[in-house]
Amino acid sequence: MIDAILLDCEQSETGAQALITDLALGPRIDLVPFYDLERTALSRTRGLLLGLHSDQRYLASRRGQLEAFLAGGGTIVVCGHIGHPFLAELARFQPIPRYRVDDLTVNREADHLVWAGIDPADLSKRRGVAGFYGRGSNPPPPGARIINSLGPSRSPVDFDCRPAVGGRLLVHAGADLWGYFGSGNSSEQIMPQLFDWIAKPSEAA
Amino acid sequence: MTLAVLDGGTYYHQEAIYGERLGGRFDRTIYAPELTAADLAGCDALMVADRIHPGVLRGKRPILLDYLAGGGTLIVLGENSAQQWAPGVSWEFRPTNFWWWLEQGADPGHRIVAPDHELFRHVGMKELVWHYHGLLTPPPGATSLVDITRDGDPQGKGGSILYDHRHVGGGAGRMIVTTLDPFYHHGSFFMPAASRFLGKLLDWTDEAFRTPG
Repeated sequence: MIDAILLDCEQSETGAQALITDLALGPRIDLVPFYDLERTALSRTRGLLLGLHSDQRYLASRRGQLEAFLAGGGTIVVCGHIGHPFLAELARFQPIPRYRVDDLTVNREADHLVWAGIDPADLSKRRGVAGFYGRGSNPPPPGARIINSLGPSRSPVDFDCRPAVGGRLLVHAGADLWGYFGSGNSSEQIMPQLFDWIAKPSEAA
Repeated sequence: MTLAVLDGGTYYHQEAIYGERLGGRFDRTIYAPELTAADLAGCDALMVADRIHPGVLRGKRPILLDYLAGGGTLIVLGENSAQQWAPGVSWEFRPTNFWWWLEQGADPGHRIVAPDHELFRHVGMKELVWHYHGLLTPPPGATSLVDITRDGDPQGKGGSILYDHRHVGGGAGRMIVTTLDPFYHHGSFFMPAASRFLGKLLDWTDEAFRTPG
């Protein structure tokens, strides 16, 4: 049993290649060709990582497989905006209208193992530039825990929830969380902490 | 005159093709994994939106080559690994420089090198100068439209980021190839210059490949 399978969309600069060759984290993750999902036994992993470049129409066609994985206690992590809601708890992305820099500042709304010890300032800006972390919300379902929000509008950018079918769902409305691996600031702890969280299925959502 | 677009099924393809800001600019939308030869019947041009899974495009290569051989035009945008499936494409990776504009007066090296080309009736430097993903070496017979200078290239070599290749392989087909990826940025609500580029590119395709009205 491994901690996570990441579906590979063959896009450059996703951080996935650095992750699978890392001495500490590499053994915790497998990279699987995206469209091989339908031929992949998810029973061998605790978590499934779906990145921003995912073909969400394809994921919608695999909803039965994804729900079966959740029902078996699995954890699904979704990054990016939702264009095609492929699970019941997902809704289409809503951008912050005409956002300005202050609208994109990251606020911590709830403690969460994945973001423990991470300075929101390291998420709000890269080299002084805002907007990389998120620019709006994938609207969370009732009962979701809002983890981080953006700006004065407190638009939820990260949430987790317990899907009706079972398991756990973590949703980040921005670029892939694995892109922060090796960032050189506190945000590089996201990935080891994400694996730790996935490995603790009993932790309350 | 008919313009089609390949949709890779991502959120940014959805937003760029169907969203309020740029919607209605294509006569036909084809979900890339389901592309068939019949879908391209009567199409004057097919835009291969950026960042479609390259494995899908490799799998559809025979259909795309037949379409070109039949006189079709392919407009191939960036991060599609076109060098793995499209004729004549030679691409070299360059790390993305999101930061060039933080230095006052910085010149990232973009140059319009064929200013008489019809595309530049719509697209100008304001739309072109943002980051790019890799450099192209136009094949014999192709015309580079936008180059990156040697000084602008971190490897000091320079190359093209947009070219027009008429009569591909001596046939009637045409390919416009770029390393820019505007669907991704526009559809992600990030990077206004990329949105401007896509809008102006579609102004050109409206003029070149669509029937008015």
